[in-house]
Amino acid sequence: MTLLFARSHQWLISPSLKIFSRLLTLLIILTLSGNVVVADTYKEKLDLQPLSGQFLLASFNFQSHGPIEAFNKQMFQLFPRSLGQILQYTHTRELHLRFALGRWDSELWGAQPGDGQNAGGTGVETWAWVEADNDVEAEARWTSLNNALSGLFCASLNFIDSTRTIRPVMSFNPTGDYPTTNTSRLFLLHGSLPKEPVCTENLTPFLKLLPCKGKSGISTLLDGHKLFDASFQSMSIDVRPICSPHTGTCDIEIQQTIDMVLDISRSLQRKDSPVPRPRDQHELICDTSKPYASNEYCYPMDNSIDLPWSLSDLFGRTISGGCPFAIKIPTEETQHVCIHAPENKLKTMETLELAAPAPTEGQPDLKCYVLRENLPFDLSFPKQQPPISPLRQEPLLYAERSFTGHGQEHGGVKTVLRNPNPNDPVEVVYLESLPWFMKPYLHTFKAQVLPAFDGEADVISELYYRPALDRKRGTQLEAKLVVPPNSVVILTYDFEKAVLRYTEYPPDANRGFDVASAIITIPPHRQGSDGKIIPATSIRTTSLLLSLPTPDFSMPYNVIIFTSTIMALAFGSIFNLLVRRFVAVDEVQRVDLKGKIRGLLGRLKKGKTE
Amino acid sequence: MALRVPVNLRKNLSVVLYAFQGLSILAVIVGLASLFLLPLDEYSRRTYISENALLPGQVHAYFGGSEQNIVRAFRREVDLLGNSTSDVVAERMAEIFRSAGLKVGKQRYSYKAAGGEYTGENVYAVLHAPRGDATEAIVLCAPWRNIDHLLNEGGVALTLALSRYFKRWSLWSKDIIFLISSDARAGPQAWVDAYHDLHGENIQSLSVKSGAIQGVVVVDYPGAYHRFESLHILYDGINGQLPNLDLINTAVQISRDQMGLRTDLQEMWNHDDGYRHRLKTMLRGMVNQALGHSTGPHSSFIPYHIDAITLATHGDGGWHDEGSLGRTVESVFRSLNNLLEHFHQSFFFYLLMAPKRFVSIGTYLPAAMLLAVGLTLTAIRLWVDPRSRSGEAGVKVEEKEEKKGEKGEKGEKVKEGEVIAVNGGPKRELFLPMSIVIGVHFCGVIPFAVFNSVDYKSMSSVFYIFIAASVILPTLISILITLTASPHRLLPAFHLSRCFSLLFLGMFLSTLATLNFSLSFLIGLFSLPLMFARTTPDSVPLALVNSVLLQLTSPFAALFVVAGYWGLGVEDILKEASFGWWVWGMWTPIVVWCVWWPAWVVGRISVDSSIVMAVTGKRG
Repeated sequence: MTLLFARSHQWLISPSLKIFSRLLTLLIILTLSGNVVVADTYKEKLDLQPLSGQFLLASFNFQSHGPIEAFNKQMFQLFPRSLGQILQYTHTRELHLRFALGRWDSELWGAQPGDGQNAGGTGVETWAWVEADNDVEAEARWTSLNNALSGLFCASLNFIDSTRTIRPVMSFNPTGDYPTTNTSRLFLLHGSLPKEPVCTENLTPFLKLLPCKGKSGISTLLDGHKLFDASFQSMSIDVRPICSPHTGTCDIEIQQTIDMVLDISRSLQRKDSPVPRPRDQHELICDTSKPYASNEYCYPMDNSIDLPWSLSDLFGRTISGGCPFAIKIPTEETQHVCIHAPENKLKTMETLELAAPAPTEGQPDLKCYVLRENLPFDLSFPKQQPPISPLRQEPLLYAERSFTGHGQEHGGVKTVLRNPNPNDPVEVVYLESLPWFMKPYLHTFKAQVLPAFDGEADVISELYYRPALDRKRGTQLEAKLVVPPNSVVILTYDFEKAVLRYTEYPPDANRGFDVASAIITIPPHRQGSDGKIIPATSIRTTSLLLSLPTPDFSMPYNVIIFTSTIMALAFGSIFNLLVRRFVAVDEVQRVDLKGKIRGLLGRLKKGKTE
Repeated sequence: MALRVPVNLRKNLSVVLYAFQGLSILAVIVGLASLFLLPLDEYSRRTYISENALLPGQVHAYFGGSEQNIVRAFRREVDLLGNSTSDVVAERMAEIFRSAGLKVGKQRYSYKAAGGEYTGENVYAVLHAPRGDATEAIVLCAPWRNIDHLLNEGGVALTLALSRYFKRWSLWSKDIIFLISSDARAGPQAWVDAYHDLHGENIQSLSVKSGAIQGVVVVDYPGAYHRFESLHILYDGINGQLPNLDLINTAVQISRDQMGLRTDLQEMWNHDDGYRHRLKTMLRGMVNQALGHSTGPHSSFIPYHIDAITLATHGDGGWHDEGSLGRTVESVFRSLNNLLEHFHQSFFFYLLMAPKRFVSIGTYLPAAMLLAVGLTLTAIRLWVDPRSRSGEAGVKVEEKEEKKGEKGEKGEKVKEGEVIAVNGGPKRELFLPMSIVIGVHFCGVIPFAVFNSVDYKSMSSVFYIFIAASVILPTLISILITLTASPHRLLPAFHLSRCFSLLFLGMFLSTLATLNFSLSFLIGLFSLPLMFARTTPDSVPLALVNSVLLQLTSPFAALFVVAGYWGLGVEDILKEASFGWWVWGMWTPIVVWCVWWPAWVVGRISVDSSIVMAVTGKRG
């Protein structure tokens, strides 16, 4: 409902007002770039990385810092005022908000960018550390935070109520610094909406939080049509306080990221024709080595070339120069656009407009550029034959979750965790947040290791379980477990499906109910003989669709009609009983023919006398 | 005043008995007749699409042109692999799917039934919906060999080509799974069992999975010849379960109205939409439903509440080719893709009599119910009948009743005896009849267990031994009882055992009618002679006639009829039943051996006992 409201609201803005606001922004930008008064710093960076299977990962990162004192005094510079005021009002110290669509195909694409820290489960996911005196106050602040964010981002975040809120114990740790705050006053709350479809109306407010608001800099590439056609896309907002250990001063940091995986062939084809009609015969790439190869027979050959692409092909536009805030003080580290690809692929790359290459310090598979104000930027890769297999980083863990069994009464969940590393075990925290109508049997929660291994009983080292209360809160299940090297751990449990009340079903009851993704967190650890530190990584499984016993909703309709009929009948007879006067038979005077005539005569006489 | 009516009834009990008999016969006649009314326009309805989201035929289907060159090439590839083992086939298919950029999984399975081993390897590929989140999936399936063991060249080639073609579209909201099952009977079952993690030991788990399956379309396009005449839609599931009518309607509407393809049901190739053809289509559907067997790869999905149909090509003289079939499948998939919810709007219980004509459960159910009611009423009549009471008084009544029967007129002459019979003395003795009925029903487990564990080779000999045994068994039981029980208890015992047996059968059939109408109806039809299988120690010829009639409507006779209908040997039918039990979880054998056969045996016992009683002179 909020979505609808937001959409209609946008339509209300008149074109003249838009032009005016644009002019105003321009004016502000011009004055700001003229004299350096901004204390906040702002960085933005676009990382491009071709993935296997003709995909391209584009990671946008926007980051701004500002002193926390100014923030507390409501002196917002680059920090978006709308968000800042919400955070202050609800005493939110750290906020993480995720919008995601599609699934990350780790088999094909490898590890997720940023160790999966920027990605959320399908739909909307949010967690925050709220400062409060007690649990009740925290809950109240969390509710008002979600309601406010719901309006800000045009998402149904207001539906994150107590049934969808959990308090993870092991999975999340604050990423900010809290030198002055008493950490026992910080409450972590987590909520997710797996059914929420992420779309353009969420992107627009997201872009509005940026200093350049999508008008210049790398954010100009963010067009709803392209973003939401991506095979995977994830938007995130993280707000946290950061303190310098040396000076003791604290900053508030807001980091916004967008990761999107574009299907290159589909994006390019869409440019030519929106409908993927069968290709013309001469456009087919056929395997001519087949004995039957002829005009009539075509054994298709695919993936034989790397398709040529450029930023403008894929995003429909070029980068229209750098964002003034991001190019204000160019430093050594400033990089705006970076591309990771094998060295010999990078060699063929061309930049269409002038942009200063940034130093990359001896990394042959990385190339970076610094954008200049008002100078559009584009880069392109020519056709490559034979194709160059792109860089791929093996993920720490593969996770997959599915339902087992069928029927309206019981079911099961099976999660397969695979550790591809041949030497090191991985310690993971598995977090599941289940709706209350899905009631797991904890005694059936089991871990099986394949191939079989001795310490199977010790795979799960810790278990935190918070059972559901009907219509009040969902189940929270958190387990710490170890996946031995080069093996698979299969977690299974059975559950029972509750029967909902008639009014609790959504309008599309037969679609099923979405169950949020399981969150798998791998805490920072040392790996291998060299003790390389692996930062904290998180992985989300896909969400699930749970079908519950659903009544035939035409039946209640019949029932209503029948009930109404019965009510009408009952009303009729009761009304009859109430208004009728009951007289005993012997009380009534016997009226025979004589009496009747006498009565009539009597009346007539009366009439005459009157 | 209040007592007047019952006393009258008691006096004229025979009126009640005749009324019951008349009613039960009437119920049966009306039931049978109502079935034959169904094909009439007044009783059947035109099909319609209930689920608005489906929008069948509202999109333009583009498959064709150069895609057909690819189909032809894949046809050649399939042809080259024609007689290879299933692992070679699976590997090659996996390679083709992988080159299209899909996630591929393979699954070996092995079933044992009727002494045979059924092995194979399924191969499937998952096309992830762009922007999708693996919550829902639709399946396009092509068995490597179809239900007639023909190489499904066109179907497999089309599936391979469509997998590439569908990948280019970005509009899919559900994952699409392309399944090439090793055969049409065991393969899909193994796959769908494993998809829900309910598979047995000799079946591999699936390595790649997707979300909840919303619909399945199977393509059966065998033979090297490209052209076909019409599309045969198969829809019967295991145990007579049916897919949602919307799915069939969608397929019919798309192929007929959008593609100009004729559609056929139940092998009725020249349907003129007249009464006879409608009736025949309906009866064929009912036979398939009653047998509860798999009619194609789609059947295995239906018990999982996954709506599935098979599109099989028919004839080779037409002008349709891969293009039309591909466009039909494309359009059906576009419709399935539109689904917002699981199929639920339309009917799950229906009888189709033409591609666009059906009757729903409300209209046809009375037919089977009335047959069951006929049996139940007969059972009630037997209970009310004073002959069910043993003891002296009871005998007196019966004699009097018989006298009355001779006179052909009931009247004042019948006096106190009856009132005594009802109000007082003789009670029904339940122990003997109960133990007969329960014992015989337990015996039903024996044929069920035997036929599900015997080898195919010895199947026919076991079957004939079993026929001989069940012909002799009722006679033996009746001899045993006649010789051991006291004479005055004999007749009531046989009477009551028939009563219980019919009551059980009637109740069971009326319950079954709500689940599998056709099976209930057909068993009810074959059990009708049981209504008349009386114990008549006075009339041996009648008993003999009854006995022959029962023999003709025995489960064995039905088996021979079914075997004749399919042109197979009885052992093949039994093998199919055994396979059905072990692979598909088909319940028909249980119903036949544990419900119908015992009822038949009890019927035979009461008929045979009259001969035995006549011979031994123990007439009760």
